[in-house]
Amino acid sequence: MDNFEPRIIGFYCNWSSQMGVDSAGVEGASYPPNLRLIRVMCSGSVDPEVIIEAFKRGADGVLILGCHLGNCHYRNGNYNALRRYRLLQKTLEQFGLEKERLRLEWVSVAEGKRFAGLVGEMTEELRRLGPLSQFS
Amino acid sequence: MGKLKFAIYWGAACGGCDVAVLDTHEKILDIVAAADILFWPVAMDFKYRDVEEMADKNIDVCLFSGAVRNSENEHIAHLLREKSKVLVALGACAQLGGIPGLANEKKRQDILDFVYHGSPSTVSQKGVYPQEKTRVPEGELKLPKFYDAVMALDQVADVDYYVPGCPPEPARILEVVNAIVTGNLPPKGAVVGALDKALCDSCPRKREEKKVKAFYRPQEILFDPERCFLEQGLICLGPATRGGCSDPPRCIRSNMPCEGCYGPPPDVTDQGAKMLSAVGSIIDSQDPEQIEKVIDGIVDPLGTFYRFGLPASALRKKRFL
Amino acid sequence: MKTISIDPITRLEGHGKIEIFLNDQGDVENAYFQVPELRGFEVFCLGRPVEILPRIVPRICGV
Repeated sequence: MDNFEPRIIGFYCNWSSQMGVDSAGVEGASYPPNLRLIRVMCSGSVDPEVIIEAFKRGADGVLILGCHLGNCHYRNGNYNALRRYRLLQKTLEQFGLEKERLRLEWVSVAEGKRFAGLVGEMTEELRRLGPLSQFS
Repeated sequence: MGKLKFAIYWGAACGGCDVAVLDTHEKILDIVAAADILFWPVAMDFKYRDVEEMADKNIDVCLFSGAVRNSENEHIAHLLREKSKVLVALGACAQLGGIPGLANEKKRQDILDFVYHGSPSTVSQKGVYPQEKTRVPEGELKLPKFYDAVMALDQVADVDYYVPGCPPEPARILEVVNAIVTGNLPPKGAVVGALDKALCDSCPRKREEKKVKAFYRPQEILFDPERCFLEQGLICLGPATRGGCSDPPRCIRSNMPCEGCYGPPPDVTDQGAKMLSAVGSIIDSQDPEQIEKVIDGIVDPLGTFYRFGLPASALRKKRFL
Repeated sequence: MKTISIDPITRLEGHGKIEIFLNDQGDVENAYFQVPELRGFEVFCLGRPVEILPRIVPRICGV
């Protein structure tokens, strides 16, 4: 695993988490370049099919970022994200995909440093787990 | 129109699709006013050699049921594709991988170990496994290679049409044959004899509101035979399954939830992912702990959401390092 | 040695083939029956919820 650089696809919502990600930049909280970000309107709009597709196309990990529960810009979107993500994670675990590869986090505007920290943490966790072998 | 030349074959199959063809009760022959069946192992004594000796495109329609599990299934799929004008994937196994596709959750060697040695009812002979080539005093015997993964027919050959179902309805098989005979061919790659909407659209059950506080296994509750299964907490694959099996839908009218045998509706690549997304969104809770509990009530999500379509899904096959 | 190959066997459910080896007199020296199919139901049913089994195992044989 010496030269393994995990690839993380991050779906981040247009509202709280976008501001959180931005804050990281403003505060100078750096995070590894292993994360490639894709903006969506709501964490609830991230379809399980899209998550699976991300893994199939080479992601070693997928991170979904949304507003804190109760603060969703669309009221209930992030609850949908939570329910779908947990059910998908349980199904993928049966399929042999480690839990740690799929993560859902709530990020607010004030949590730039926390966001940067969790990306670093996830990168190291994936480095430890190794490249994803579960998809053709 | 002259006699239509048919071939009906099975890969890793159970014979149910062949029975569905038989269940057309000679109507299939009425339509073509006497058809020539050139190859049909369940019912007629033609050999692979007979197919090999045919000219290319000699067969007008080949109905191929069963999944591709081993090299013989693949070889015959290629052979029949060569010798046939139209290749139809008949049934869930040919279209999606079907029930045999559940083997994709297991390691190939584990399957062989259990079947030939581990199973309680097998007399295990030490070290004996099926071999592709076996030397015997008189010569050599051959067996096909057991693949790592089950595949759907279109993963090894170019398929013209799909007739879904496990088993397909005899009336639908007649429809596809009729379409071919009369030249009213649907676009290539079409799923024939099915609707273009999800099953829910043709479901007769009462639907009120989808807010579920718990999921149950069918034996755990007494459920209302008139109301939507999902609303009562029973997983029904209706929302992510193509409609058209029967009116009313077969399993629904037998008071059992839809299993998803017709495969995904149009424009859905992964039936299982779509279904679990739908199930996730009807969970009536905003408390993460409660949500967790509700999800715990769904035992075997892989076998429930991907029962018929694992090989054709985005997941396809579990990999083992 | 002359071989007669019956492939596939027909008019039953399932896949099978027979290799018959004839000696120089044209008598059967030996014959082998082979089953070139395996799906592994006995493996992928293990661990599944019991109520799913009656929906899976009928697909062992549709005849």
